[in-house]
Amino acid sequence: MTTEQQNKSKTLIRERSAKRRSLYKSVDRTMQFIFRLCGLIAALMIILIVFFVAARGVQVFLPGYENPVSLGEFLTGMRWRSDQGVYGVFFIVINTIITAFFAGLIAFPLSVLSALMIVKIAPKRLSNVLTTVVELLAAIPSVVYGVFASGAITDIVEKMAGWFNYTTYGGNSMLAVILLLAIMIYPTITSMAVVAIRAVPESHELGSLALGASRTQTNFKVVLASAKSGIFAGLILGLGRAFGEATAVSMVAGNAMKGPTWNPFDLTRTLTTTMLSGLHETVGVDYDVRFSVGIVLMIIILITNLTINALRKKMESGD
Amino acid sequence: MNRIRIIKDRIAEGLTWLSSGISALMLIAIFVFIFKRGWSTLNWDLLKNNYNSENLMAGYDHIDWDEHGAFTAPGSLPDDAFFSEKYGVAFVDSVSAAKAPQMEVVFLDPESPLQDGKITTAGPRQGEKLGLEEGLYLKKISYVNLEGDKKSAGLTATQGKTSEELVSVLDNDSTEIVDFYAQTEGGGLKGSIITTLLLIGLTLLIALPIGVFAAIYLHELAPKNKVTAWIRSSIELLSGVPSVIFGLMGMTMLFQVTRLFGITGQSTMLGALTLAVILLPVIIRQTEEALINVPDGYRMASLSMGATQFQTIYKIILPNALPGILSATLLSISRIIGESAALIFTMGTAIMDNPAWNTRGTSLAVHIWTVMSGEQPNFELASAISIVILIIVLILNVSVKYITYRMTRDKDEQKKNNKKEKVKATTET
Repeated sequence: MTTEQQNKSKTLIRERSAKRRSLYKSVDRTMQFIFRLCGLIAALMIILIVFFVAARGVQVFLPGYENPVSLGEFLTGMRWRSDQGVYGVFFIVINTIITAFFAGLIAFPLSVLSALMIVKIAPKRLSNVLTTVVELLAAIPSVVYGVFASGAITDIVEKMAGWFNYTTYGGNSMLAVILLLAIMIYPTITSMAVVAIRAVPESHELGSLALGASRTQTNFKVVLASAKSGIFAGLILGLGRAFGEATAVSMVAGNAMKGPTWNPFDLTRTLTTTMLSGLHETVGVDYDVRFSVGIVLMIIILITNLTINALRKKMESGD
Repeated sequence: MNRIRIIKDRIAEGLTWLSSGISALMLIAIFVFIFKRGWSTLNWDLLKNNYNSENLMAGYDHIDWDEHGAFTAPGSLPDDAFFSEKYGVAFVDSVSAAKAPQMEVVFLDPESPLQDGKITTAGPRQGEKLGLEEGLYLKKISYVNLEGDKKSAGLTATQGKTSEELVSVLDNDSTEIVDFYAQTEGGGLKGSIITTLLLIGLTLLIALPIGVFAAIYLHELAPKNKVTAWIRSSIELLSGVPSVIFGLMGMTMLFQVTRLFGITGQSTMLGALTLAVILLPVIIRQTEEALINVPDGYRMASLSMGATQFQTIYKIILPNALPGILSATLLSISRIIGESAALIFTMGTAIMDNPAWNTRGTSLAVHIWTVMSGEQPNFELASAISIVILIIVLILNVSVKYITYRMTRDKDEQKKNNKKEKVKATTET
């Protein structure tokens, strides 16, 4: 091989590797771009959701709409008669808040106590079993809860109503909704509380024990107090689920025409059941007004989050 | 410790036992209820049958009724069957999944004239052969009676509403059969099962790449700044949005996307797109957890050997994160099977027997909703479908648990080995 040929092959190799390097670089750059794009898409979704639902929901109040609904009547109305074109959402908001509140009231103490049991009190085996129980409860789909509720919970409610000499509509009632929601949000709050209690530093406990507090006193007064922030985050998630739960609640709510419902054995109507009830056509005011209800639902969830966060901050600064 | 203290502690601890006991009881109650109500309805036929029953009508104008003699009942007939000796056919009364009475043809003699019917109604299939068959459900049969008048009997007629009556009418009063009206068995889940599988496939096809890529971006590429923090928190927010809202979003926003494919209404594709958005936070979180578990040393080794960032991600990081991505997939499937509210909006509630990606359809969960929200809620069928869903969801969740258990065990072992080697190295020196 002459030196000339050697040089030639060397430059060829160099050119080739340079080419390959630039190819790798461009692949690298395109893939980076695609990764970044996917991240952005995922992040933009929440904004797009709010924007599109709000745009469609506001539409029915605007003067250009075919038969517009008055915004004032919508926000303060105490009747929802889609057959007469009367859409009042205020009593539905009250019903939704009442049912979620009472469901939280039942589920929250149960959840916190179970979480304490799982992390601190139960022996290892039992703790594993209870964790599995909570995970399974969380994994059961909401329609299955609905079937259970409209078969079993309504029966119980009907019997309870019998004690008070009250007849229900086959057990469909506010009480049934509350009990159902309590079961459904229990695993959500519990799993968050478990995480929060696990995160409590051991030194807190040891300090309390060293000062002469009993094991149980430590668990209730020190551990729970330290895990407060995480437990409240669980409550927010749980209430969010209670507000947003649709299919299961629709099966036992009964969709009252007017309200608000104060008697636990009466029919009720929540925001989500309103969105799902009588869903036939996908045009017209009866369909579009569901988007307005959706906006109300999102606002309520937002306000609840803010309120609980503020409450938590107040409690923390009060210590 | 004084006595009051001890009693107080006992009570407090008892309360924790009580509340965990309540939760375990709740779970047992749900399972017992669903299995008790649904187990008898659940069988293989339910899974493979169509939901809508097909109507069959055929006549016997061309048959010479005189050449057929009497038939004898076979020994294998069930006890509750009634056999017509004149026509060689046996019926059994039963109740359908929708709680309506029905009359099943359980036996038809191979020589029976009833199997030689022809379609008489006008249409493209007129003249085709269509006879009575075993397994069909007879609604009505028309015959010529002894006086030569045309009469009818069967479930939809005024007489012969039970098998016993029908057989006695046919054997004692008829001279020939004019036509029959029967239905295939309905109420099955075949269409909904196909739709569910289709939905799982389409959703994963859309959601997995976007979710995994987004997780890679967040964990491998994104700089630690405010924008990244904002991206993270908006993905976090997404997981708190109720599924009805996702349904609404699907109908306004993603509807425009499916319009590009020429779909004008609710469709499985629209449902899959909506579900993909719902699953994004789940997939991203699970994948990121898996990426965190990949040791940093792998990345550095690969990069220092001259590999590009994409090569490192594709050949080193992703294979090591595969178990995590697998568990993300299984969790997603479990969510898809259970989701209902968003799908009611985007896919409709009409149960289809031959679903496609661009038509309406119902997943198993929405099938339950349709069955339960009708005029007469059908608990037995709903519970039977619930059993199917529960079993699938349970298997998926147990697998995810097993995968995470394996993952953490591997990691612990690695740590132990590393420690051992270090100890060895120090003792050797």
